[in-house]
Amino acid sequence: MLRNLSKTTLNFSKNALSLEQQVRTTFILKRRYEPHLHKTNTTPKKYRAKHFIYDLVEDTLVKKRENIEVVLTQFVDGVGDKGDIVSMKAHFVYNQLLLPGFAVYKTDENVAKYAKTEAEKNTVVHSSPYAQRTVNMLESLIVPVSMNKDNAWVIEPWHIRASLRKMGYHCKDECITMPEQKIEGPELTNEGKEFFVTITINNLEKAKVRCRLHHWSTEPSERLPYVFEHWKRPAENIFGSSEETVQN
Amino acid sequence: MFSLISSIKTLAVRSGVNSTLRTLHVTSSLEAARKGTREKARKKKVKVEVKKVGFIPHNQRDKNKLKILRADRHVDDSWKATPLDNVYVGKYYKWRVYSVQEAIQCHRETHHPSMFNVPNAPLVAEIEINTQAEKANRFVDNFQRMAMIPHKFEHGEERKILVFTKENDLITEARTAGASLVGGIELIKDITNGELLLSDYQYVIAHPNILPELVSLRGLMKRKFPNPKSGTLGGDLTDMIKKFANGISYSAVKDEHQQNFGLIKATIGHLSMDSNHLESNLKSLLEDINSVRPKREGRFITRVLLKSFPSGEQLKIDPFVYIPEEVVKKSSSKAAPVAEEKEVVENVN
Repeated sequence: MLRNLSKTTLNFSKNALSLEQQVRTTFILKRRYEPHLHKTNTTPKKYRAKHFIYDLVEDTLVKKRENIEVVLTQFVDGVGDKGDIVSMKAHFVYNQLLLPGFAVYKTDENVAKYAKTEAEKNTVVHSSPYAQRTVNMLESLIVPVSMNKDNAWVIEPWHIRASLRKMGYHCKDECITMPEQKIEGPELTNEGKEFFVTITINNLEKAKVRCRLHHWSTEPSERLPYVFEHWKRPAENIFGSSEETVQN
Repeated sequence: MFSLISSIKTLAVRSGVNSTLRTLHVTSSLEAARKGTREKARKKKVKVEVKKVGFIPHNQRDKNKLKILRADRHVDDSWKATPLDNVYVGKYYKWRVYSVQEAIQCHRETHHPSMFNVPNAPLVAEIEINTQAEKANRFVDNFQRMAMIPHKFEHGEERKILVFTKENDLITEARTAGASLVGGIELIKDITNGELLLSDYQYVIAHPNILPELVSLRGLMKRKFPNPKSGTLGGDLTDMIKKFANGISYSAVKDEHQQNFGLIKATIGHLSMDSNHLESNLKSLLEDINSVRPKREGRFITRVLLKSFPSGEQLKIDPFVYIPEEVVKKSSSKAAPVAEEKEVVENVN
C-alpha cells in the first residue's frame, strides 16, 4: 500500500514537472531507406527492419533561438528608455528584462500602455541608453596624463582628450571641464598626484574623472624610475585639498 | 634375438603413432606451396629503419602536430554598434575611422613638445592585405616593391644606384638626377673583369640603348638585371633614378600561420611635414600596392593603420578614399590610371 502510494506521488511530481517546464524534444528525422509504394486497393507491404533506420536532420534543442521583441517599462542601463521596443537574445530577455519586470512582451496593448507621456518626454533623465555605462566606466578610471619633463606646459583640455584616447575613450574638447586652478609644469613635486576633470556626456550626464600627472622625458636616461602598478597606490591631490580625494 | 624383437616392436609402435598423427593435406606439393607463400610474406615485410634524431628541447617537440587555435588576423568589427554619444568607450563600438588629416593631427598632439616632445617622428602606415589570389587555395607570394612618391623625405636608408647608358647627354642627365655611378660599355668591362663589385649597389638602372651589350652581365646580376616590369629599364632616366632614390621601399610579409594575411609596414614621411604632402605620399603608396592586386572579387587592402613611435596609438583610416575597393573593369581602368599618373608627375615637378 505504502509502496503504491509513493509510486503515485512520484508520477504526480513528474506530471507536475512536465506541465511547468517547456521541453524541447522535437527531432526532425529522415528515413534512410524509403519504403516502396503500394498498388491502389491493396494493403501496404509490411515494413522491413531497414525502414526504421533514420538519419537526424535537426535537433531543435540546439537550434539558435530567435530574438524576442519586448517593450521596456522603465529606463534600463545599456538597453533603452521607457517605451522603447528592443529586440534581444532570448536568454537575456527572460533573465534580465522579463523576470525583474523591466520589460513586457510586445503586444499592441503593452506598446500603448508603456508609451512615454508628454510630461515624461520633457523631463529627460538619460540622454542615451549607454551614457550611464560610460559615466560608470569613466568614474572607475585613473587616467595617466604624461606630460613632458623638460618643456614648460599648462594642462589644457586637449591634453586630457589625447590621454583618454590613448586609453580607448573617445571624447571632444568641449566635453571636458578643467579644474579651476591652472596646472603648470614641469613640476616634479606634483609627480603622481591627482586632479579631477569633469566630462559632460551629450550635455547632460556628468562624470568626475580621476587623472594622475606623470612626467615623461624623451631621453630614456632622463626618465623617472617606473613605479610598479602605480595606479593601485593611493595618491595625494595636486591642490592639497583633502575634500577632492574621493574614495575609488 | 631379443634386441631384434624389441626394435621391431618400436618400429611397429612408431608406425602406429604416425598413423594417428597423420592429418589432412600433408602432401609434398602442398608443403612446397606453403613454403613459397611464407617466403613471399617474409619478402613483403620491409624492414623499418629507425632514424636517430638528435636531442630536441621539450618545448620544440611535435611543433607541427600542435593545433593551436589562432585568431583570424583579419579583424572584422562590423557587427559592433556605431557610437551615437559624443563621449564613448571605444571597446564597445566599431573602431573609429579617422580621415588622414585627423589621424596626423592626433599623432601631432601626442608628439607635441608638451607631451612626448618628438615632433619630427616618422609616420608609419601599416597596411593589411588579403593575399588570396584568383583561386581560394592560391596565395600571392611575399613581394618587395618601390613606390614612387611626390614628396621626398629622409628615409635613412643607403641607396646606391648604378646606371648604364651610352649617350653623353643621358650620362650627364643621370648624374644630375643623383645616380651614384653612371657609365657605358667601359663599366660593363670593369664588372666582367671584377674591378667593380655589383654588390655595392642596391639598384641597377639601364637605358634601352645599351641593352645588347648588357646581356653579357645577366648571369652576374641575376635578379638585379634591368627589366621594364620592375621599372629599372626605360627611356626616362631621371624619373627612374628619382623613384629609386626617394621612393618608399616596402615589402609585404605573409603571416606564418595564416596564408591569407599579409602586412606591409612603410614609413610615409615625418610628422613635421605638411599634412597634404603626407596624404599624397600615402595615396601613391596605396596606388602602388593596389597595382599588384589579384584579379578576384573582394578587397585586397583590408585595413590601414597609421602609427607613430613612441606613441602606441593605431589610428584606422579609410583607404578607399584613394583607391577603388573592387577590381576595376578594363574599359574604365584604362582612363583612370592615365589621369593619376599625370597628377603624380605634376607633383614631382
